[in-house]
Amino acid sequence: MFGQVLFSGLALGSIYGLVALGFAVIFKATDVFNFAQGMFVVLGAYLAVTGISLLGLPFPLAILFLVIASALIGAVIHVLLIQPLSGRPMLSVIMLTIALSIVLRSVIELIYGPQGRTRATPLPMGVLVVGDVRMSYLHLWAALVSWVCMAIFGAFFRFTSVGLLMRATADGHEAAVVSGINVNAMNRVAWGIGTTLAAIGGLFLGQLQIASPELESIGLLALPAVVIGGMQSIPGAIIGGLLVGVIEQMASAYISPKSSDIVIYLLLLVILMVRPWGLFGQRELGRV
Amino acid sequence: MNTNTSLSRGHAWQKWLWRLLAVAALAYLPVVLTDRAAFGVALSNMQLLNLGLTQVNLMLIAMLGALSLNYLTGSAGLISIGHAAFYATGAMTAAITGSQLGWPFPLVLLSAAVSGALVGVLAGLPSLRVRGLYFVLSTLAVHHVIVYVFLEYQFKFFDVVGIPFAGAKLGGWELNTPIRWYFFLLALVVLVYAGFAASLRTREGRAMQAMRDHELAATSMGVDVRILRLKAFGLSSAVASVAGALFAYLLTNVTSEAFGITFAIQFIAMIIIGGMGSLPGALVGAAIWLLLPSIIGGLAPRSSEAVGLTRLFLVEGRAQFVQLIFGMLVIVLLIFAPRGITGLGRDIRQLLASWRGR
Repeated sequence: MFGQVLFSGLALGSIYGLVALGFAVIFKATDVFNFAQGMFVVLGAYLAVTGISLLGLPFPLAILFLVIASALIGAVIHVLLIQPLSGRPMLSVIMLTIALSIVLRSVIELIYGPQGRTRATPLPMGVLVVGDVRMSYLHLWAALVSWVCMAIFGAFFRFTSVGLLMRATADGHEAAVVSGINVNAMNRVAWGIGTTLAAIGGLFLGQLQIASPELESIGLLALPAVVIGGMQSIPGAIIGGLLVGVIEQMASAYISPKSSDIVIYLLLLVILMVRPWGLFGQRELGRV
Repeated sequence: MNTNTSLSRGHAWQKWLWRLLAVAALAYLPVVLTDRAAFGVALSNMQLLNLGLTQVNLMLIAMLGALSLNYLTGSAGLISIGHAAFYATGAMTAAITGSQLGWPFPLVLLSAAVSGALVGVLAGLPSLRVRGLYFVLSTLAVHHVIVYVFLEYQFKFFDVVGIPFAGAKLGGWELNTPIRWYFFLLALVVLVYAGFAASLRTREGRAMQAMRDHELAATSMGVDVRILRLKAFGLSSAVASVAGALFAYLLTNVTSEAFGITFAIQFIAMIIIGGMGSLPGALVGAAIWLLLPSIIGGLAPRSSEAVGLTRLFLVEGRAQFVQLIFGMLVIVLLIFAPRGITGLGRDIRQLLASWRGR
């Protein structure tokens, strides 16, 4: 029982970590606390539906389609909505992302209908039994791809010149501007990456469950994940995601299925009270 | 100089005339909406914008919520994305004192106000420790906790159908028709509006706005921002809690699902649409948010006749279409008119005045 719960928690947690990583990339680059991240997950699930079922693309091409489309959408959102609001008070920006998620949801529901979509997955089905733990290949694949994506983006930030410029931009806006970095372009890339990571998470969540707008609430678990991990910390976001996945599965297995959200949000409240900068974040000093 | 004083006297006189007209219109409105006719002339559904009195009553309750959130966020600068939690608190208190213990209606509302204030102060406690974004998140967490408590309570004492509410009466005057509800709620909205307006003019109200604009400056002027924050939370959530109790009684049945995060978000949207920090703005925002859906519904042609996009937007996907318009409205206002519709109105009036002056 315990091993089984731990396995599904870690597998789901890997997806949450991926979504949370996308969230953290956006937050670090543009200081936008993106409440639309949950809707980006739904977007990914429906882009997968579009690519695989409607366009009939083979799976690798469908993934490519999903990555390109979601990156474009992210960049367009940054140009059209986020850039005009730079320097505005926090509530305006938060409300903008909330309004964005309302718009995205209604557009998705207008196009695809409000009901969820189930369909055959091109990924291998079946179960791998190790000891008394039954691991479905779908969960394994989801976790594997999530970690590969995280590794790719980790390497991107660490080793490429664009990654370096993006880190510099996140560290200090003015300094980056003075050094001749095109800050807006960097932020656009960050939004593209953040959206893509959420969309890939949505691809798998849509396969594990059904692709429906209700995936938003699952995608929004990235928020507590990021805060628990530490808002300024990239590894913190991933570990926060894993933690949220494990806690969610444990709570619904050992307490009650209804209680899983509340346990996570209670933990969030405790973290906010005790260690607001998160488990892995840097302590922020009060500024005047 | 001379023209100036006569102008201002004319203004005061005009102001009172407008107020009188507004009172007359508000008093006559429910009659029009019930009889579907004005001054003996029958009006079609289209001419009445497809509005019913129940919709207007729900709007009045939403106005209470928008006014209270505006007080907290617009005037005190405390952002809460968990305002639905206080509605839930009020509804739950009313369920305990009204539906279970059978207290009289005024006492039920009073108990909702008291418990709302208590829960509000509790929910405001994180503001003593964390700022900004962290505080916003704490309101989100508090919202989830309270709605979960509501859910557990509902399933322990009632069932999945929801909690029934009945017997709203003030003394011998039973609130059993939409018109009675209308006048009761209207009086309450006026009262709350006047109360908030008066409170913002007091010493503490001004201190609160100073705290919103510059916390450090306010502190150095001798304002204890911690106490002030908790007071703002208490007052705001007491009002929201009463609104929640009224909401429950008006609908006569509520479930925990009614108070989800979407319910909380709509209040933020209202005050942004109307104009942050503006009392009339909160009313305008609530009116738009509650009335627009049924106005759009009135545009829908008979479902058999509709084709193409009209059919998609107005018949099959009407709910989504309304949401799309709301979302776009908020986005457009945030980008082009950050002070909301009332701010936009002020700008236009100033523009007109400057043209006239030229």
